[in-house]
Amino acid sequence: MTEPTQELKLEIKNLIISTLSIENINLDDVDDEKPLFGGDNALTLDSVDAIEIIMAIQRTYGIRIADQNLARQVIGSINSIARFIAEQRENPTS
Amino acid sequence: MIVQNFNHKMAAHCESGTITSLLNHGGLNITEPLVFGIASGIFFGYFHKMKSFAFPTFIVRNKPGQMRTNIEKRLGVRFKNYDFKDPVKGQQTLDQLLQNNIPTGAQVDFFYMDYVPSWERVHINVHFLVVTGKTENKYTISDAYFPQMVELDADSLEKGRFAGGNMSPKGFIFHLDKLPADIDYNKAILKGISKACFYMLKIPIPFLGIRGIRMFGKKVVEWPKFARDTEHLSHEIMKINILLEDQGTGGAGFRFMYATFLQQAATITGKPQLAELSAELMKIGDGWREISLFSARIGKNRDLGPDKLKQLSEMLYDRANVEERFFKSLSQAIK
Repeated sequence: MTEPTQELKLEIKNLIISTLSIENINLDDVDDEKPLFGGDNALTLDSVDAIEIIMAIQRTYGIRIADQNLARQVIGSINSIARFIAEQRENPTS
Repeated sequence: MIVQNFNHKMAAHCESGTITSLLNHGGLNITEPLVFGIASGIFFGYFHKMKSFAFPTFIVRNKPGQMRTNIEKRLGVRFKNYDFKDPVKGQQTLDQLLQNNIPTGAQVDFFYMDYVPSWERVHINVHFLVVTGKTENKYTISDAYFPQMVELDADSLEKGRFAGGNMSPKGFIFHLDKLPADIDYNKAILKGISKACFYMLKIPIPFLGIRGIRMFGKKVVEWPKFARDTEHLSHEIMKINILLEDQGTGGAGFRFMYATFLQQAATITGKPQLAELSAELMKIGDGWREISLFSARIGKNRDLGPDKLKQLSEMLYDRANVEERFFKSLSQAIK
C-alpha cells in the first residue's frame, strides 16, 4: 500500500478550505491525525461540510464515495482521506 | 451463549444488510447489493398529507419487511418469523433460538439501541439487526451500521422490540429456516428488475414511482404553509438530505447501491447493457446527491431566499425525467 505524501495531505487541506470557504486558518495548525468532526482540530466540520467534501473529492480526484458508512470512515481525518485517495489511485474501486 | 462462526459485516442498509448476513451465515454467498436488487428495493414515494406524518415526507426504498418477503419468493429461501404480544415470551423465544446456535434478525426502535451515541438516536421503529448471543444480561448484536459487534442490555433490547407507535415492531424476530438446493440467480435478478421497473414506471398511484418524484417537485413549493416558521421549514428541508444520505441508504437514496447491483447483475446474467445502465445510474445518483447538498445548505444557513424552493422543485423534476428514461431503458434491457 502506498503511503500518502505530505504533498497530497496539503492538497486535501487546501481542498477543504477552498470548498468550505474557510478563512483565517493556518494550514500548519491542522493536525493530520486528529478527528475533523467533533474533536479539537483547528478544522472542525459538521455533517453538511461532510457532504460538501465528499462531492469535492469526487470532482477533484474522480473518486465517488458512494456508501455513507465508508464516507464516515474516510473523512474522519486528513490522514484517512489521504490514505483513501492514495489507495484508490493505486487500486480504483469506485 | 454465543452463536458460533457468525461473521459480522458492515452494510449500507440495515434491512438488506441483516438479510445478507443471515443468508451468508446459512452458507449462501450473496452480496448486499444483490439482495437489494433482487428484492426490488429501489423505489420512490412522496407523501404530501398523511395522518402518520406531521409534515410532508418521502421514501426511497420499498416498504420495510418487503425485502425479506421478496427475497423469499425470488430465491426460494425461507425465513421463520415470530411476533409477540408478551415481551416475556418474546425474550424466551429469542434466548431459545440463540441457545440453538441460530443468529436471529430483529426489528427494533433504533432509539433504544444504547450502543448508538445519544445524539444520533432517533425513534425509527423499522431498524433491523442480528442478535448473535447473550451473556448474563447482555445481548451481542450485529448492527450493520457499526464496524464491530456491540453489546446491548436485555432491558434496552426489550424496549426496542416492543416500542409502540407507528409500525411498532411487536417483538418481531426472524431467522433463516431453509435454503433451496439450487438458486436460479438469472431468473431472480430479472424478476427483481422487472418489478422495480413496474413500481417506478407503471404503478397506478399518483404519489409513487416516477410520478411520486414529479409530485414531490410540484408540491415542495407548498411546504411553507405546513411550517410554523422559517426555523421549522429549514429543518424539514434539511431532512431531505438525511433521508437521501444519512439513513442507511447506501448513498443518493439507494441509487448507488442499485447501480452496484446492476453491475453485478450484468456479470451474472451476461447482459452487458446492465453494466452500462449501472454507470448511468451512478450519474443519476450524483444528481440526487446535489439535491442532498442543496437541501442541507438551506437547513444549515436557514437561507430560504425567494427562489430556493423553486430551484429545488426544478431539480426534482429533472431527477424524475432522467429516472423515467433510465427505467424505460432498464425495462427494455431485460426483454
